[in-house]
Amino acid sequence: MSAALLEARSVSRVFPMRAGPVTALSDVSLRVDLGEYIGIVGPSGCGKSTLLHVLGCVDVPTSGAVLFRDREVGRLSDAERSGLRLREIGFVFQRFFLLPMLTAWENVELPQAEAGAGRGERRERTRELLEYVGLAGRADHRPSELSGGEMQRVAIARALANRPRLLLADEPTGELDQATGDQIVELFDRLHLDGTAVVVVTHDTSVARRAARLLEMRDGRIVRDSRQ
Amino acid sequence: MRSIFRVAWLSSVRQPGRTGLGILGVVAVGALLFDMLLLSRGLVLSFRDLLDRIGFDVRVLATDATPLTGPPLERATATAAAIAALPEVEAVLPIRVRDAELAADRTARLQFIGADPQAKPMWTLVDGRDLVDARATDAPLLVNRNLAASARLSIGSTLLLRGVCGEDRDATPPVTFLVTGIAEFPFDDRSATTAAGRLGDLRRLCGDRDEDRADMLLVRSSPRAGSDAAAERIRALLPELHTVTNDEIVLRFSHVEFSYFEQISFVLATVTLFFGFLLITVLLTVSVNQRLGEIAALRAIGLSRLRVMVGVLCESVLVVGAGGVLAIPVGGVLSLWLDGILRALPGIPLSVSFFVFEPHTLVTYAWLLAVAAMGAAIYPMRIVGALPIAATLRREVVS
Amino acid sequence: MRTLCLKLVPLVAFLIAVGCTLAVQAAPDDAPSLLISRQLATTRQLRIGDLVRLSRDPAAARGRLFRVDGIYEPTPDPMRFAQQRFEARLHLPDLLALSGDGSPGDGADTIDAINVALADPRGAARFARDLSGRVPGAIAQAIDTPDARTSTFVVIERFHFAIAIVSVTGSAVFLLALMVMLVDERRETVGILRLIGFAEHRILLQVVVEGAIITIAGAVFGLLFAVMTESAFNRFFEWRYDTPLVFVRITAGVAAQSMLLALPLGIAASLIASWTFLRRGLMALVRR
Repeated sequence: MSAALLEARSVSRVFPMRAGPVTALSDVSLRVDLGEYIGIVGPSGCGKSTLLHVLGCVDVPTSGAVLFRDREVGRLSDAERSGLRLREIGFVFQRFFLLPMLTAWENVELPQAEAGAGRGERRERTRELLEYVGLAGRADHRPSELSGGEMQRVAIARALANRPRLLLADEPTGELDQATGDQIVELFDRLHLDGTAVVVVTHDTSVARRAARLLEMRDGRIVRDSRQ
Repeated sequence: MRSIFRVAWLSSVRQPGRTGLGILGVVAVGALLFDMLLLSRGLVLSFRDLLDRIGFDVRVLATDATPLTGPPLERATATAAAIAALPEVEAVLPIRVRDAELAADRTARLQFIGADPQAKPMWTLVDGRDLVDARATDAPLLVNRNLAASARLSIGSTLLLRGVCGEDRDATPPVTFLVTGIAEFPFDDRSATTAAGRLGDLRRLCGDRDEDRADMLLVRSSPRAGSDAAAERIRALLPELHTVTNDEIVLRFSHVEFSYFEQISFVLATVTLFFGFLLITVLLTVSVNQRLGEIAALRAIGLSRLRVMVGVLCESVLVVGAGGVLAIPVGGVLSLWLDGILRALPGIPLSVSFFVFEPHTLVTYAWLLAVAAMGAAIYPMRIVGALPIAATLRREVVS
Repeated sequence: MRTLCLKLVPLVAFLIAVGCTLAVQAAPDDAPSLLISRQLATTRQLRIGDLVRLSRDPAAARGRLFRVDGIYEPTPDPMRFAQQRFEARLHLPDLLALSGDGSPGDGADTIDAINVALADPRGAARFARDLSGRVPGAIAQAIDTPDARTSTFVVIERFHFAIAIVSVTGSAVFLLALMVMLVDERRETVGILRLIGFAEHRILLQVVVEGAIITIAGAVFGLLFAVMTESAFNRFFEWRYDTPLVFVRITAGVAAQSMLLALPLGIAASLIASWTFLRRGLMALVRR
């Protein structure tokens, strides 16, 4: 088995629109290794988020294949893909998408319950994660009582709930100010050091510069792949 | 499962106004649905209970006409004796019912029931003495409260009655009766004026012209044999007569006289159920549409399609369940009101109710609401189940 | 032309009361004629020309032969719509001969009712009073005088009205829930409009107008739906009870009543729903 955690092979994604098909991704090949830290940059509409969705098994490519630990994702059932996202992949969104009626604690606990973790295990893991992101004292607060940065940190804790090997972040600092965004990026650095593979899509170059490897996209293609 | 319900509960209370209105709506339709279920069999149950309480479970008539509307039985005494001799029969009571009028006021009509006072009577004595306790020389009379009030009668009063027995009313001489008691007659409606006396006195009321006739024979079967066996033996003995058990009477009434209420309860139950289903469907659909981003994110972080669909179903069950439970006492109060309205129908015995509770009504009610809750959740579950995750996330970011 | 009805018992009901024994037989040409109801003809498979024996007792001891000369549709009677209309019509002398028991004073010249058609129907009540006074023992009544039948329908009407109250209450709740959801969907739009300077009453007016349009459209649609289902209901009941009686009728009055009820309810619902929103703070409106 190779060290590749995730591999995209000649992946294309075409969206049929009323005005004509739109090619969001065109023949993209990419490999993410265990513990790698990748930043993806590019102008708006270049296909960054689409690539992230395809890598995260949230979307299915029109052609090509995505392999997660040598398993082709396209051949999996919807339930199997859900299981993959639940246990192996963590997702962080630009708009946080926390459940507003649950507390920070309950939001982090939710995926663990879904994965079948026992109550004691969940309690331990949730406390650990909230401490990790520096929000142990805000566990009982609802998202409406948290700042943007705090909400994003809760979202990151939720994404890490089931110890995923890969964390995907789509514009994680898009709704945050610079200082708060830096805090988030520092978290990603820690995660990377702790062995989690991280792929961050961002238009913020300061965020992208923290990644060990930078991919530049334009018009649905990877035009530059460098390691920093 | 507990966490699914908990999230569903929290989603519901997140919009308390909307959820509260949804529950209120279910209370309104649930109350009406509950009442229509009570109405669908209420009259039949109440009528059967009334027949059973009288204490006779088989009736013998001359024809299959509705009791008291057909021709009388001839040779009633001999027929009653023959039936009473059957081992399946415990008692037989000939009944004759005629109209009578007060001699002092010919517009004041009453119904006169003639029966053998030795047999268990089909009335309930509330004051005074029953016919069986009267002296042989008296013409004892039991009157109901309406008659006592309208004719200003009390126990010990005398009353002059003239029978309305044939075509020539003026020919029958009036008869003096002695009021010995006040009674309640099970088939009285709220305006009925009823009296009961001995069969012989009723014949005198009609100038002895009645001979040996009865409008019907009330039969009580022996507990060992039961009404069906007794009816079969009577039919075999007297095939030219019409023998019917209480069950058969109730069945006939439910197919004919009471059928209107069954029909209307069915129609209204269907309409209210559909209404409730529509309300919850709209509520849930709008609620889901407002949370698509959240739902897409939950799917993205790994919650399965089934999990989020079951969550929507749970929301439906919660709203319909809460409304359904609250609707029962509301429906109970509503049924009292509606029952009061319907019992004003002329000819409806006072002791009959239109809305009668039986335990399996609750089962039917719960089952119907469960079906409505599940049906209402189908469309929003479909939305959630078919949600394109990536497209929804993209749309949320753009919006 | 209106008729004055004396007493209640129709000739036809008398035959049901005495009990008819029908036996189909062949021949005598001099058998008197009668008409039978369609329901009786269908059930007993009788045709025009058949001979039947009528008797007032089940043993048919004093039965007489009659010839079926016609089959008629009984006048629908709302009081008896659920009952099988097994009836026949005879010439009065034949009925009297059949119903008499032969004994002296058996009332062979006795009938139950006389229907009177007046030259001027408007004087029916006065005529009835006059007649009652002149013929002691007879009760004369104009056909529109309230009696047990009237009170039955008064009660039924009251019952239906009670059901309508409950239905309207449920509908009002439904309507309010709908309006709350509709307004909630516009929450951000409303918030932005307020932020850029739109006055509360201006937005309220817009919402009310929208609510009124939705209400009118819904009421009209509901009315059309009711008109379409009216015939379905009537056809069902006509089939179920084998009667031409009409059970559901949507008149102009009923339609107007429905619209007059729906419109204020709809506008009130949208007013209440939007008012509760406009009372919130601006930022609460624009934020999720």
